[in-house]
Amino acid sequence: MTGLVYKEWKQNRLFILSMILCGTAPLLALLLMRGALPDTGDTPLRIGGLITGFLAAGALQMLVLRGDDRRQWSYWITATPDGYKGFLRVKYEMVFAMIVLLLFSLQFTDMLYCAVAADTEKTEIAQISGAAVLLGFVQILFRAIDIPFFYRFGSKKGSFIKLICVVAFVIFLVALILLNADHLNNIIDTGREIFTGYNSSLILSAGLVVCTALYYLSYRITCKLYLKGAEQYDH
Amino acid sequence: MTTKKENAKRLGIYLLIVFLFISLPFIFRSLINESNTAYFIIYYLFSFSPAIASLITRAVTGEGYRDMKLHLNLRGNFRWYLLAFGLPLICFTAAFILPVVFSGHTEWLGGFTFRNVLSCIFTLAALSAVQSIGLLGEELGWRGYMNQKMEPLFGTAGTCLLGGIVWSLWHLPMDMAVYNDGEGALPDLLMMCGGRMVMLTCFGTFLLWLTKKTDSIFPAVIGHYMFNESQRTLADLLWQGNIPENAASDAVAGVSDFLPMIIIAAVFIALLLRDSKKAAEPSFIRNRP
Repeated sequence: MTGLVYKEWKQNRLFILSMILCGTAPLLALLLMRGALPDTGDTPLRIGGLITGFLAAGALQMLVLRGDDRRQWSYWITATPDGYKGFLRVKYEMVFAMIVLLLFSLQFTDMLYCAVAADTEKTEIAQISGAAVLLGFVQILFRAIDIPFFYRFGSKKGSFIKLICVVAFVIFLVALILLNADHLNNIIDTGREIFTGYNSSLILSAGLVVCTALYYLSYRITCKLYLKGAEQYDH
Repeated sequence: MTTKKENAKRLGIYLLIVFLFISLPFIFRSLINESNTAYFIIYYLFSFSPAIASLITRAVTGEGYRDMKLHLNLRGNFRWYLLAFGLPLICFTAAFILPVVFSGHTEWLGGFTFRNVLSCIFTLAALSAVQSIGLLGEELGWRGYMNQKMEPLFGTAGTCLLGGIVWSLWHLPMDMAVYNDGEGALPDLLMMCGGRMVMLTCFGTFLLWLTKKTDSIFPAVIGHYMFNESQRTLADLLWQGNIPENAASDAVAGVSDFLPMIIIAAVFIALLLRDSKKAAEPSFIRNRP
């Protein structure tokens, strides 16, 4: 297992360390965009930077899987003592660690900004770490969906099939809404009742746990699909 | 094989570096009081000082970076991760709730509704997975280095005791900050430091056991996170209840604060001593059916 961790570190250390840079995106957005958008407040700029940082980090997290969709590599790793399950475990742990590093970097930068803002007697000081934590869990959920597609169908085909699935899901949702247009008000009212202030904290916290549980489930699904996918890799 | 003399030298260097870091908040006291940025940077440097000290010591003594216990080792150890999550929560729940129940003020527990409690547990579970990483700065030093060097020198019980004392002394600048701001009296400060020393020495026993059981510092990181956060969460829930402002403080604090932690320490020191005894036995006795 140490060997696999070492291999991943040697191969992907730039991507892993780039999470720290992505975490500074709210601060960079503030510094770089201040001149271009003088009328915009600090907080909207920082939130823009936060979202940009998350998008960039998401793309970089998928790049650490690059090159794994090769048939020979799959056969070789399956024959090692750790097996393909050990290899996938290290991959999942690494992607999770990247998300954690991103969150840590974001929170550090956020607190540093607030400390500097307090010293410079700025009146607009708002922490955006809370939103960052939520986005972190959304990112965990997205990776839980992305990784099985990647290993089952390979990089290119996987992205294409995932896109088809997402579009099909959106069409299904729209069709569901259109077919129930008469009951739409009832559905919205039911949704409002469920998401009352009293319930919302419970639903939100349960959602966070579900995201983490889905990430583990995603690992188990990838383990089941990996060998089938390896048979179909292009090279 | 590392000799006792080498271990003592490494431990000495490590502790020297850690205590140099402890002096930082005292040296830069006026700067910290004047600037939020300086406070933030020094605080972060200080909170990562055990890990930084362990890395510096490893570099200086040339022992390398092996056995830092940085593997997750989740396989077969998931139940110990769950224990790291659950035990501090149970322990502090007992410490917070029992005094209120025994003092006959169950109406103060109005915040402890099923929904609130479940929501808190879910939040703690999710956040312990992604937010506990900051505590790596402490655990990489205390459990990942110091305890390993202490155990051959002072034995298991000695490591728990001395490790706990060092760990609590490291928190001294935080306690002193309150005193230096003029917010607390000296007897209060001494009570706080003493209380922290008892709590951390007891809890350190559990963290040492976890680290040895799983050969990883991550369960200790989660346990440490839960130690900090479960107190905060339970205090929040308690203050959501109808506690009158003139409520007797002895009803919500006292000896029972320490009792669950002392029980944990007794149980885990017994387990640690049993494991040490087993490890010392020749393998043909250990493997006897």
